[in-house]
Amino acid sequence: MAMRDYSADKESFKNFFVDFCLSDDEGNKSFKYAEQLTRLAHREQVAFTVDLDDLSNANEELAEAVKQNTRRYTNMVSDVVYEMLPNYKHREVTAKDALDVYIEHRIMLEARNHRIPGEMRDPRNRYPPELIRRFEVYFKDMSNTKTVPIREVKAEHIGKLVTVRGIVTRCTDVKPLLVVATYSCSACGAETYQPVRSLQFTPPPACSADECRLNKAAGQLHLQTRGSRFQKFQELKIQEHSDQVPVGHIPRQLSVYCRGETTRRAQPGDHVAITGVFLPLLGDGFRQVVQGLLSDTYLEAHSVTCLNQSDEGEIADELTEEELSELTDDDLYSRMARSLAPEIYGHEDVKKALLLLLVGGVDKRPNGMKIRGNINICLMGDPGVAKSQLLNYIDRLAPRSQYTTGRGSSGVGLTAAVLKDPFTGEMMLEGGALVLADQGVCCIDEFDKMAEADRTAIHEVMEQQTISIAKAGIMTCLNARVSILAAANPAYGRYNPKRTIEQNIQLPAALLSRFDLLWLIQDKPNREKDLELAKHIAYVHQHSRQPESGERALPMRLIRRYVALAKRTQPAVPRQSASRLVDAYVELRREARNARDVTFTSARNLLAILRLSTALARLRLSEVVEKEDITEAIRLVEMSKQSLQHVEENTQRGISYTDRIFAIVRDLAGSSSTVKMADVIERCVDKGFKPDQVEACIEQYENLNVWQVNQVRTKITFM
Amino acid sequence: MHDFGSDFELITPELWLSNEDTWREKLLRLPDWCKIPLLNCNASHNLPDSSLVRFRGMVQDMHNPEFYFEQFEIYNSATNEIKNKSGKYRDTANIMENEKINYTENLKSAQRQTIVVVSIPGLNDWAQQLEDEKNHLGHLEQQPNTSKRLSSSSTKLKRSYDETDEDLDAMDVVEAETVHNKEPRIAETINNTSNIVSREHLLNFPLPDVQSKSCIVKIYDENDDLKLNDMIEVVGFLSVDPALSGEFQTEKDTLLDPEIENEVESVTHNPPPSLVPRLHAVYVKKLQHCNPLIPEKVDQDGVLKGAIVAREHLLKALTELLLGDKLAAEYLICHLIACIYLRQDTLTLGQFCLNISNLPTQRYPNYARQLYDVIKQFVTKSYYLPLTIENLNTLSLLPKKDYDCNRLTSGVLQLSKDTHLVLDETKMEQGTLDATGVNNISAIGHMIKNQKVEYDFKYYKMEFESDISVLILSEGKSLLPSDYHCPLRPEESSLKIFEAIVEAATYYLKEGIMNTIRTYLTHIKLVKYTISEDLQFVEDDFIEMRSKSDSQNPITADDLHRLLVLARLVSLSRGYDTLNKECWNITKTMEEERLYRLKNRISTNL
Repeated sequence: MAMRDYSADKESFKNFFVDFCLSDDEGNKSFKYAEQLTRLAHREQVAFTVDLDDLSNANEELAEAVKQNTRRYTNMVSDVVYEMLPNYKHREVTAKDALDVYIEHRIMLEARNHRIPGEMRDPRNRYPPELIRRFEVYFKDMSNTKTVPIREVKAEHIGKLVTVRGIVTRCTDVKPLLVVATYSCSACGAETYQPVRSLQFTPPPACSADECRLNKAAGQLHLQTRGSRFQKFQELKIQEHSDQVPVGHIPRQLSVYCRGETTRRAQPGDHVAITGVFLPLLGDGFRQVVQGLLSDTYLEAHSVTCLNQSDEGEIADELTEEELSELTDDDLYSRMARSLAPEIYGHEDVKKALLLLLVGGVDKRPNGMKIRGNINICLMGDPGVAKSQLLNYIDRLAPRSQYTTGRGSSGVGLTAAVLKDPFTGEMMLEGGALVLADQGVCCIDEFDKMAEADRTAIHEVMEQQTISIAKAGIMTCLNARVSILAAANPAYGRYNPKRTIEQNIQLPAALLSRFDLLWLIQDKPNREKDLELAKHIAYVHQHSRQPESGERALPMRLIRRYVALAKRTQPAVPRQSASRLVDAYVELRREARNARDVTFTSARNLLAILRLSTALARLRLSEVVEKEDITEAIRLVEMSKQSLQHVEENTQRGISYTDRIFAIVRDLAGSSSTVKMADVIERCVDKGFKPDQVEACIEQYENLNVWQVNQVRTKITFM
Repeated sequence: MHDFGSDFELITPELWLSNEDTWREKLLRLPDWCKIPLLNCNASHNLPDSSLVRFRGMVQDMHNPEFYFEQFEIYNSATNEIKNKSGKYRDTANIMENEKINYTENLKSAQRQTIVVVSIPGLNDWAQQLEDEKNHLGHLEQQPNTSKRLSSSSTKLKRSYDETDEDLDAMDVVEAETVHNKEPRIAETINNTSNIVSREHLLNFPLPDVQSKSCIVKIYDENDDLKLNDMIEVVGFLSVDPALSGEFQTEKDTLLDPEIENEVESVTHNPPPSLVPRLHAVYVKKLQHCNPLIPEKVDQDGVLKGAIVAREHLLKALTELLLGDKLAAEYLICHLIACIYLRQDTLTLGQFCLNISNLPTQRYPNYARQLYDVIKQFVTKSYYLPLTIENLNTLSLLPKKDYDCNRLTSGVLQLSKDTHLVLDETKMEQGTLDATGVNNISAIGHMIKNQKVEYDFKYYKMEFESDISVLILSEGKSLLPSDYHCPLRPEESSLKIFEAIVEAATYYLKEGIMNTIRTYLTHIKLVKYTISEDLQFVEDDFIEMRSKSDSQNPITADDLHRLLVLARLVSLSRGYDTLNKECWNITKTMEEERLYRLKNRISTNL
């Protein structure tokens, strides 16, 4: 690589700072860097930030060079700015601190001592530039640069500008770091300056001023703290995010040195994005001798930005073109639904509903009224039908989610609690699961076993999306814009189709009606489905992988990113579709009046359909809700209703207990024709029948003359 | 024939570097590596610095990568010579008094990975003994190299640490006197240095009260995809220069030094090399197992043929020990050969957590322990954890990142794959679990259910996959979840003479039979198992089961998974590498009998 012409670069920087301007919409030009320089000259600003985006627009090649060799260019820009500053100084600046006064004095003194006519000497020259410069130069990385995973920051990045993301695990106190040490000589009074570039320094042994040297006085040097220049210094340790760590590896760490303006930007536990120069640090002193073959590395920070949790998703990589095309090519909706919890077989409609829950509908605020867009779903069903697994999966998939059980673990519970701060004695609020899951999903298992207090609070959350607190003198309203995904077990263990939902779940109708969809998941034997299930499982065991049902499940990461993308669209319902919605609702109401309805059809259903259809439109990344979306939304609502009604027909078709007891007796008898009554009763009780049922069965078949029972009723003889 | 082995005795990093590929090839062609001293069996103070050694262990932690000087110049001020040197495979520059490293020019940096390897946790005594016999190199002890090492490296820095050096030698000697002198040694450490760090802290072994060794291994090959808890065998150059110890750091100027690493961290990361030697890896081999009885090449057919004999022995012994309960013995065999064979998304197949309940603790309070004592004779790696309230409240089961020392502090659940964890619930008494105890219980439960252990990184948790077979011994049904729960049905006759049975079993299990069983258990895990395409009988059975299922005994997909996993183990244990109808039927009967027992147990309780 040819050496760059640095003096030319210096010139281009100078021109760039002078010429660069941005013009806003009204055509007003703002000279971004010139203005910064003015502020620097007047000591109103310390950091001088060069945006590489701007530089790249003006001189692409130079911007690239800066990225490759940042440290050199930092120094160069410092020089350039230093040279330019006097031109931008329009008025006298009042001294701000002792160092300012000190510098001023030195410059004046120098100018006086060397006022030889004809010699145009810059009085500032004798002093090390670091002492007099009161500004700091930082580069801002280009906005399109990808962040480098900490793991990938390697030797080839040394000296280059890199941007990393991570979590701060440790930060030291901000301490002063010596930049220029000033000594005064005890013999001649002359001052010696020593710029310090590393973290340690050795003071010069003797005064090197002319006077001392000639006199051989060897004056003692004393460090002048007032005349020395210090800089704020802080060391951070950042660690990789858990999602950047390959499976089975330990997260890596990186040291970051922050100076001056970049200090105090982050605290342990913060998620940060840091742009900086990756540099080796030569060990010195003992370390250099012992581990002379090692060099520590660090990142010299140029900018430290805290990211809060919600920003993170947006910073996460955008979907690439090919990923998008892969996603959009065929039936995305069903495919994504199938990819949810792929290990749970079937339940496709439930999964579709869950997918829509993740995407969510559109929030509406017509004239101050608030209509939530979040979709609430309640899964019911007998124990052991993978409800909790579904919840778990959604909890892991959703970028922001809380998983709790209704029984709640802490005093904070679901809503919020007022706690007394042990140190200050002040009352403070601590958010519960619903508050923590704001703008996310709150998965509540065992919804039916929820504490009474939480149950009342959840009414408000589910419709108004806020939690009002009036406790211990604190009256406030917390946001809880969550989608609730609840799982409930039926009362008394099994879903009883003869009762209504309220009786089955033991939840008030007011709460149940707030769920957009209620699903009853049941696990009923069914020959075809069982065969399919058996084949599916057998396949997994045979081939050690999931069967390819024409496609593979989409990876979680992809779904997460796609959902994030889909959430950005705000689809609206066009007029012609609106009428269809109304028709559908009227139809639902009519049906509900006619048929015996176990659920409640109310205006809330209309909103549910609306939410579901907007979520469907979002999933297509469309701004308009199509007719098909509404049809599908209505279908889902219909299906969820059916899942509740379906129960009844099925149990009626079941075999009666007498038939089953008869079968047991027949099995027990085998080839012989007599069976002991005691055996029969024991076996039947084992199988879960009550003794009076057995008696009834025996009597019934006796009457049919299938068998005979002896007088003392101890033996059954087949005819 | 040229003796390769002797070559490796004399090799130095320089020699190796001069012709890296050839040496590596030579190493791989070496028929057995016994000649290269194994650090697990030979004390490091008997080996010279920068000699080629081996170490076998589990990856316990990974540190940040280091940047070292691959090429650098040395300037000799006495002779004005300039030499090129390489920092690869060594820690110290090894420079003479008049020499100086040129830090400004002609430097070439490269990256190397540092991992902490500890000796395999839970390795049973018999395996360790066999290892020792095979690998112990007696001649090393006859010619202690301590003096040689000291005289050979007369560097400048050494002299400045004369006093401490003497101390170190003293320590070496103490260490050589093995385990018993552990206490005085710790005391000495405390007296000698200002940084009080115990030996246990530095070794950081997952299991408490177990002797272990650890090594800091530097890896140069970027492609080695090592994961945490992998079992590995490292061949590399030993580095035991005492100067590497972080305890001898000079006092820092606290005013001006920004504390790049704080003191605890640097001491923890630079333990005395006499305790934790450094190893510069030239070759890393991932181990599938660590059973010393298994030859390099596994002959699958032979293994399968021999299976039935070994199984008979094992079944006989276990049936007797389980007081005549053959079914429980069958399940225990399956448990012993189970390992995870499929992991996809959230689905994990092959885990086989067995809960044997109804132990005769009334009559034999130590029954569980006695059972474990026999089991540990069979399996290569195992650990016995009595679930007492005290243990649960005090032990740290989950590994946790310690940001002060910047390392992963190990916990009991940090085990390599195929380790048998035996939880003795019969030792539990009434009491209160505190927060730690509850966390520990839920951690074990999570591990059993998902075979994943959540490591605590303070700011977030990370799940690491594990493959630990858990056997729970309890009186009633365990409070922990389990895949298979089998209540014991002791025979009255065996119950009376249990002590005699134990004695007889020890007599019956002679070395020969023992070794057959040990080989069998490890071999079977390595066998490749397939299921033929035609599984009609499985599907039909499942449909039938489903149609019979009712609300009280629902048959779900999980039951089929469980049956298929069991069927696999039943077939494998009998020496079939594929599923056939016969084994399927055996499996079904086993499960039926087990479920029948479970149900009857409940009804008797009611």
